[in-house]
Amino acid sequence: MTFLWRTALKDFHRQRRQPVEFVLWLGIPLVIGALVVASTGGRGGPKPQAHLLVVDQDDSTLSNLLLGGLSQEAAGSFIRAEVVQLEAGRKRVERGEATALLVIPAGFSDAVLREEPCTLRLVTNPAQRILPGIVEETLAIFADAAFYLHRVLGDDLRALAGGPAPGLDTFPNAQIISTSVHINELVGRVNSYVDPLVIQLETTTDEEEKEKAAGPPKSFALYFLPGLLYMSLLFMAQGVSEDLWRERSQMTLRRLVVSPRSVTEFLGGKAIYGTALMGATGFVSLTIAFLYFHLAPSALPLATLWVMFSGAVLLLAMMVIQLHVRTQRAGNIVSMGLIFPLMMIGGSFFPFEAMPEWMAKIGRHTPNGWSVQQLENILNGTVRPAALGNAIALLAGVGVVLFLVCARRLRRGFAQG
Amino acid sequence: MIEVLGLRKQYGSITAVEDVTFDAEPGAIFGLLGPNGAGKTTAISCVSGLLRPDAGRVRVFGHDVVTDGRASREKLGVVPQELALYEELSARENLSYWGAAYGLRGGTLKKRVQEVLEIIELHDRAKEPVKRFSGGMKRRLNFGCALVHTPQALLLDEPTVGVDPQSRVRLLDLVRDQARQGTCVLYTTHYMEEAEGLCDRLAIIDHGRIIAMGTLTELRAKVGERDLLRLSGRFEPGPVREALGRLDGVEIVQVEADSVTLAMREAARKLPSTLQALTAAGAELYETTVTQPNLESLFIKLTGKELRE
Repeated sequence: MTFLWRTALKDFHRQRRQPVEFVLWLGIPLVIGALVVASTGGRGGPKPQAHLLVVDQDDSTLSNLLLGGLSQEAAGSFIRAEVVQLEAGRKRVERGEATALLVIPAGFSDAVLREEPCTLRLVTNPAQRILPGIVEETLAIFADAAFYLHRVLGDDLRALAGGPAPGLDTFPNAQIISTSVHINELVGRVNSYVDPLVIQLETTTDEEEKEKAAGPPKSFALYFLPGLLYMSLLFMAQGVSEDLWRERSQMTLRRLVVSPRSVTEFLGGKAIYGTALMGATGFVSLTIAFLYFHLAPSALPLATLWVMFSGAVLLLAMMVIQLHVRTQRAGNIVSMGLIFPLMMIGGSFFPFEAMPEWMAKIGRHTPNGWSVQQLENILNGTVRPAALGNAIALLAGVGVVLFLVCARRLRRGFAQG
Repeated sequence: MIEVLGLRKQYGSITAVEDVTFDAEPGAIFGLLGPNGAGKTTAISCVSGLLRPDAGRVRVFGHDVVTDGRASREKLGVVPQELALYEELSARENLSYWGAAYGLRGGTLKKRVQEVLEIIELHDRAKEPVKRFSGGMKRRLNFGCALVHTPQALLLDEPTVGVDPQSRVRLLDLVRDQARQGTCVLYTTHYMEEAEGLCDRLAIIDHGRIIAMGTLTELRAKVGERDLLRLSGRFEPGPVREALGRLDGVEIVQVEADSVTLAMREAARKLPSTLQALTAAGAELYETTVTQPNLESLFIKLTGKELRE
């Protein structure tokens, strides 16, 4: 066994006897991943849904229509409406049991039909951020709908709102027929423009196209997988690179310098150990993910290799930092100060799909973000061989340069202390 | 053998060693004795190849440490002042790793590791992680890591600092055994007794320069058979010199405001008259020490200060 492999094996044995560090590298992303899976219901789990309590003080046809509209297919997938009494509703929102409480005041129907000002009161749960927003947006759509309805059927609505003429209990048949005919004609006129459509416009995003090509929709948790894996790799890169300082402080680097072995061999051994560690972590994590999310097994070897080699380059980059700072503490501060923003923007805490476009664009150009993007493409089966070949060539080039920089610095001063 | 000729090493404007010349023979222990900061570690670091000399030449069994570094390092075993061990690994794993660093492989490595474990008396604790070892055991393993490739020359940089007396005795025995087996040993220390008891030849180093060199007998001869009398207190140098100059057989080594050092035969017998003369010269005496001829007295004679200062 050459000294190169012995060095890698030595680091493996040292790590084996210090398992806490390794557990942390894996554990932090695992805990975050588990929380994400749990909060999204795991594989194909339920979408987040707002729970809206409604107090209907108007109890009119129109208020019932509004309630029905909130429970329709489109809004209903985001909002679950439940009719309650005012006091009971207030208490439930205060206890955090619902997203919001909507109060439809008495006279709501009349006000809408006469196009008079009317206020719907919405009490939101302060502990929630996104779901109350969904409820507000949906109600705003209904308000807009009422406005446009008045523009086209304003006279009829006002006539209906005025009630039957004095002395009559109901509307005369002639008025009902006239209004019905008017509405029917209007719908007929509009229909000639909108049905059938000559051109149907379907708006989709580029990501949706990719998703369609990849088959059934991805689990929410699967969006986090590549980023979380790279979070682990970044922690490992930081930890393994910091070991250079430990070797220096325990004087083993000095012993190495006075031996006939070159520091390049030693560095190579360390890089091999780090690469193997990342490869093993990637293989185990990806295998579990492939089984859990039923991904195509043919992508597993490529995904593992990608994780291993991109992880190795991240490790070498971290080594360059550690070898060029003055103290171990400085190395720790600088590397941690770098990897946390990288993780934030590089898709580890939030998937690119959940980021504003400008941020995702920057994130995809960070070293880890770029690697995450490539891994996503491999997992989705959308990776192109030529693009992957270029990416591997780029990795290899950068890796060689970083290794040479590390070896030079190690030889010229760092090892001697 | 190790040959050092006109060695100089500077750290910025500070000269750590200057014009250091000595040679160490196989089968013998050559000691570098000097106080802390004298330049011993710098000198030994230049020999080991850890530091590059600014001037001069260092050769190990004919190989120049600068131009033929790898060959010279193959012949050397280095025991650094600090422990240089992997605490998480066992004694056997440490020895195997460092043996591999010197090119040992397979069965040869395994056999040699076992031999070294027995030499340093850790064979029964070979599988335990080093972090569980006592300080003395770690020191022995630190020594063993330098022996594993059977070096022709051994460099030991104050290997007994902070070691309990029992472990120190065992370590010094190990060093003697290596020299007896024909290894060339270069040993640095600031313990005078250690140097006297261990080294065949010695160089006394202070402020980066060798101030005396030779066998123990040769060095003792430089002091002569006279004792050293050191007095501390308050002295007026002028009157004191005048009063002491009138005494027969008393050589003034040094007179300072707070100490006086004198060399004389049978110091104990002459002490009353010396003290009387000093008191008459207005001196205020606090403490008196008589040192019989040894390396300490030589160091005091050469530098005017004690080795431990």
